[in-house]
Amino acid sequence: MSAVIRLEGVTMSFGLSGANSGEHQVLNNLDLEIRQGERIGLVGRNGAGKSTLLRVIGGIFPPATGKVWRHPDKTVALLSLGLGFKGDLSGRDNALLAAMLQGMSRREARKRLEAIGEFTELGDFYDQPVKTYSSGMRSRLGFATGLLLDTDILLLDEILAVGDHLFRQKARLALKELLSPDKTVILVHHIEQAIKETCHRALWLEGGKIRQDGAVPDVLAVYAAET
Amino acid sequence: MTAGQYFSLIDTMARLSLKAEAQRYYLGYLWWVLEPLLWVGVFYVVFFQLLGTRTPDFLMFLAVGKLMFIWFSKTVNYAGNSLTTNAGLIGRMDLPKSLFPLTVVLECSYRQVAVFLLLFVLIVTDGFSPSMLWFWLFPLLIVQLLLIVFCSCVAAVLVAFQRDFGLLINLGMVFLMFVSGVFWDIRDIANMAAADALLTWNPIAFLLHSYRQVLLWGEVPDGWHLLNLGLFSLVAMLVTLRLMQRYGAHVARRVVSA
Repeated sequence: MSAVIRLEGVTMSFGLSGANSGEHQVLNNLDLEIRQGERIGLVGRNGAGKSTLLRVIGGIFPPATGKVWRHPDKTVALLSLGLGFKGDLSGRDNALLAAMLQGMSRREARKRLEAIGEFTELGDFYDQPVKTYSSGMRSRLGFATGLLLDTDILLLDEILAVGDHLFRQKARLALKELLSPDKTVILVHHIEQAIKETCHRALWLEGGKIRQDGAVPDVLAVYAAET
Repeated sequence: MTAGQYFSLIDTMARLSLKAEAQRYYLGYLWWVLEPLLWVGVFYVVFFQLLGTRTPDFLMFLAVGKLMFIWFSKTVNYAGNSLTTNAGLIGRMDLPKSLFPLTVVLECSYRQVAVFLLLFVLIVTDGFSPSMLWFWLFPLLIVQLLLIVFCSCVAAVLVAFQRDFGLLINLGMVFLMFVSGVFWDIRDIANMAAADALLTWNPIAFLLHSYRQVLLWGEVPDGWHLLNLGLFSLVAMLVTLRLMQRYGAHVARRVVSA
């Protein structure tokens, strides 16, 4: 399979604003090649740069130095939970907005609203303001609206860490059905089981660099032993 | 994202935001007209009842000035925070950054439609009758809208790069209110050169003066100056939108790390 993403010498730092001005380095001279159809699990401690790496790959941030190349014909989308909801609006209105932000027309988005509502298992709460939701309910809504995408490269940021055990199983199954073999996936997850089930390659990120890259069982074994 | 999708998205975001805002308050949508009316009421009491201003038809003079000024000041103030309040969304989707200030512009403009209708009712009940001159309102409104879009985008980017600009923009709007003839008449300035300079270099003062010429005084506004202001606003708006598109990812990085 051909490469769909290539990172060369990517460095990323955030400028701090306000009185605490300065730079905080997150990615450090990172090289990476990802081929079509690969399913990659990304592991590492908090603050290792996992989410930032997804955002650089997704083109949301430019790297400070280095090059990011994406296959020009492939679409890429980043899914993450929790942020972006408007608390005063109902789950239904938020789902409409999320679907439209992902590129659907208003009519298409409206058609999907019932299916999204059903998947979330929110019941009557679907028409209540999101600010009245528990964190589990918010996550379920986030997952269901994220599943709408039909893109070639999916970047998933902790998206399977949703709700209770039963809902998590349902979410993993739904994701499996969605993923055809030609889709490329990069998954950030703190539960190793999810990575074992979904991925065949794992990357261990530490201090903004790749500490280890290889088959899932090998990388996870070393990661578990050292952390 | 096609232009159709972009505008449909702005429209949906603006409507949903208005709906959410109305649900927050007991009086809901009524606040759209109540708040500007209260402003006019307070200014009327202070300047007419207490200070005894001698501007003729002061209530209508004030209503035109304040109600049209609010459209500009509220929009730019809100738009200033539009990128930072949507940091969550900006950090996870590669969206055009102009989406956020433009949603605020549309949201405030929908509200302004109600305010504008209220202004018409006030003016007509006060005895002013519509005339052909009122067609001048169309170019005046379009030029004000272009100016609002330009200033809103600039405000949003400035606040995204340094939050302190948010405070400066708030203060700036208060200063602008004082120097734009919202509650005093530019024709009362004794120094003609100073009055001319104000109308030439302060676009808000010029627009408020022109609205009053059309609605209250039966005068034709300065079309040549309006055309120049319109062209300037259009070019400035297009350049700003282009820059926001080009440097969108840099703006995103700044918004998320701020």
